[in-house]
Amino acid sequence: MKYILMMQFPLGDWKTKSIEAWPPQDVKAHIDFLRRFNKELNDAGEFVRTEGLGGPEQMKIVRAQKDGTPAITDGPFPESKEVLAGYWIIDVETPQRAFELAARASAAPGPGGVPLNMPIEVRPVMMSSVSGEI
Amino acid sequence: MKYMLMMNTPRDGYAKYMSWPKQLIAANTDFMRAFSRKLAEAGELVSAMGLESPVQARLVRAGDDGRPITDGVFPETKEFLAGYWIVQVDSAARAYEIAAEASTAPGMGDSPLMIEVREVMSGPPRDSA
Repeated sequence: MKYILMMQFPLGDWKTKSIEAWPPQDVKAHIDFLRRFNKELNDAGEFVRTEGLGGPEQMKIVRAQKDGTPAITDGPFPESKEVLAGYWIIDVETPQRAFELAARASAAPGPGGVPLNMPIEVRPVMMSSVSGEI
Repeated sequence: MKYMLMMNTPRDGYAKYMSWPKQLIAANTDFMRAFSRKLAEAGELVSAMGLESPVQARLVRAGDDGRPITDGVFPETKEFLAGYWIVQVDSAARAYEIAAEASTAPGMGDSPLMIEVREVMSGPPRDSA
């Protein structure tokens, strides 16, 4: 079963607490953790893909106008409280395994090497496509 | 440049979708299939995923011993990710064009869907992955 693990970051804290505001050695410890974590997932055959996303200041909301051209407004939605910072897609046998891996990701080191214990939203994936065949 | 185009839904969005007339669900599914195929043929599709209903979502944190603590989703969250496309394009403008097309997927609403567009970072190094 495929699951998505979504790193949800409090939007109000982005400017002061996101990784861009951390000292270099803490950034390095975090990246080293991610590298090890991804390698372990890969070695276990559980890795599908991972991406990190650009900050919310670059986010746009797009919808088609009547003629099909894009109407573009600055995001995020005003009512948003969290912002997706990045995600993993994993392929595991049970939801419990997905929760275990989410807990590992949640404990990634933050400032001062202290575990972030950030909330990870875990959702089953319904369908996927890399070739256009959904 | 890679961009993530995110399709959001309210908490009851999946239940509403299931109550659409069958023909409309078929039209929506056909649109999504054709859209992904077109992106793939243009060499612009990296990945596309549809997610199960947020009813099945759990929030997970590590406890002090590292074991998972699971909980329901944020009670105040109004919008949930329903699915996304990752596209590889030459410009932000092209990503917005693709998002605008995705927003015209057939549905019940009078107005097109809104699609959130985010740039994808080069990402954490995957080493031997």
